[in-house]
Amino acid sequence: MTDVVRTGFRPSRIAIYGVLLLACLVYLIPLIIMLITSFKTPMDIRTGNLLALPTDWTAVGWTKAWSEACTGVQCEGVKGFFWNSFKMTVPAVLISTLLGAFNGYVLSKWKFRGSDLMFGMLLFGCFVPFQVVLLPMAATLGKLGLANTTAGLVLVHVIYGVAFTTLFFRNYYVAIPDALVKAARLDGAGFFTIFFRILLPLSTPIFMVSLIWQFTQIWNDFLFGVVFASGDSQPITVALNNLVNTTTGVKEYNVDMAAAMIAALPTLVVYIVAGKYFIRGLTAGSVKG
Amino acid sequence: MSQLELRDIRKTYAGALDETLKGINIDIASGEFLTLVGPSGCGKSTLMNSIAGLETITGGSIVVDGKDISGMEPKDRDIAMVFQSYALYPTMSVRENIAFGLKIRGMPKEEIRQEVERVADLLQISALLDKKPSRLSGGQQQRVAMGRALARRPKIYLFDEPLSNLDAKLRVEMRTEIKKLHQRLKTTIVYVTHDQIEAMTLADRIAVLKDGELQQLGTPKEVYDTPENLFVAGFMGSPSMSFIDVAIEQSETGLTVTVEGSDGRTLSLPVPDYLESWAGKRVALGIRPEHVSQPDEQKRNNLMVAEGRFTVEVTEPTGPDVLAVIRLNDTDVQCRLDAEHPVNWGEETDLMFDMRKVVFFDPESEKRIRP
Repeated sequence: MTDVVRTGFRPSRIAIYGVLLLACLVYLIPLIIMLITSFKTPMDIRTGNLLALPTDWTAVGWTKAWSEACTGVQCEGVKGFFWNSFKMTVPAVLISTLLGAFNGYVLSKWKFRGSDLMFGMLLFGCFVPFQVVLLPMAATLGKLGLANTTAGLVLVHVIYGVAFTTLFFRNYYVAIPDALVKAARLDGAGFFTIFFRILLPLSTPIFMVSLIWQFTQIWNDFLFGVVFASGDSQPITVALNNLVNTTTGVKEYNVDMAAAMIAALPTLVVYIVAGKYFIRGLTAGSVKG
Repeated sequence: MSQLELRDIRKTYAGALDETLKGINIDIASGEFLTLVGPSGCGKSTLMNSIAGLETITGGSIVVDGKDISGMEPKDRDIAMVFQSYALYPTMSVRENIAFGLKIRGMPKEEIRQEVERVADLLQISALLDKKPSRLSGGQQQRVAMGRALARRPKIYLFDEPLSNLDAKLRVEMRTEIKKLHQRLKTTIVYVTHDQIEAMTLADRIAVLKDGELQQLGTPKEVYDTPENLFVAGFMGSPSMSFIDVAIEQSETGLTVTVEGSDGRTLSLPVPDYLESWAGKRVALGIRPEHVSQPDEQKRNNLMVAEGRFTVEVTEPTGPDVLAVIRLNDTDVQCRLDAEHPVNWGEETDLMFDMRKVVFFDPESEKRIRP
């Protein structure tokens, strides 16, 4: 008993926690600075210390970023672009995750001649740099009549995401015994019944991994947004860039910071809500039985 | 209850050079319990999956009650299978697991409920119906897996090494239970195992497979007492049969063979007359442990019994008896000795050879020499 109590005060313990705290602080400082700056007045920012708390707490930066700040010619804040991002991200995440689940199911449980080769080639999709596909993709979207639309962006992100989501699901399903599928087939279940009734209910952890990964990737994407969308359909990442680069008079750092916070908030929320599944899903294969 | 015929079943996997199944012919009578036994890689699981329709065969036909089902989908074959890993659906309760196949086949709810209860009663798992498979012990999971197969009342049941994942004690219990179940339900069962004791105890008939070829098909007694070839002889029985390289000699008392112990002492053993044409040639003498034992007064007068004194190399007490190893003609020979009269390693002991059930093999063809 005494041993247990004493361990709490060992110098090594203190050192460990000290290092951990320091690491936390290093990682948190940018966020803290952004957060406190977003609540300062422009005056406060110019005269005060970067790390000091606001002398005058104000949400003006936030309201202005949301609905008044200029992003190029129009000055309606990031509000519209925020919803644009949602309209792009939610369908793209759902479609790419579902497609990935289906692909993974087929590539692991219904192997056909050349299915392993196909999986290998699909994996290449994870390594193709964004820049490489810009021009062909622009031409394709133009031909499809989807240039400069949210639907076009969704398509691009689905195509890019499927490689990753397929990898996630295929590797997850490989660890699920084939006998389950065989048993279901003998029970009379078909291709879709087996997927929806047997495998999908087992897939929560990997679904969370795929959802978080895809949401973060697509929400944070800038390049595709700036190339394949214009004006009204631009996602928030592009709007944020425009907002920060549109200078009329004095630079309003509080507005910039608030806008950046708004842009980052959804991914943060998704991670906080589903984060435990993310870790669980990523380690699912490693702790079997 | 259905009859199953396997006619010249052939299977070659895509890209493989060799055939996995090289023309298997087995007729399984209605209500018969057939075990498929063989070492790993012999093709027994492939054969089972082929019967179930989970693998397509490249030749031959599978006939159930006179109807060729070779080209049918698994779900249309009316065959149920119990898997080694049980393959219970992890997200469903025991009840849902058993009901799944019935639900898919569109059975009315009330009938499903009755059927699940009938099966649960039969297997004594009524108390477990609302639990998830992960909450059950191995033996309970095994019962549920059997329940799932029973619920559909299929024509044929396939068991794919169903007891391999259980511990030794439970395995014996479940073995008895499966046998009881079969005696009660009189269903046609094909049972795959690599455990020859399971095969012996359960089966009406045993099919021994090796390298995709049927080695022997017969009752457990036939397979045990009159193995067709060296492989079957060595595979069935535990500890396995010992094979001694001997020459058939013609003496004034009849045919004999001579064996030499590790200390150089020799013993002449009588052999049956049907080996006459083999006089002067070498054969493999197959002798099971129970045919070499401590001298028994009652057997002593039998002409086919011989006695000699040999040095015991190793002893392994099993409880009811002691397994001892002696060396004859430079081969280890297992003997089953009485536990009440133990001998120790390195000691000499009198041994009696009962030659009545000994079998002989042609060393060239490895086939048994028939009387």
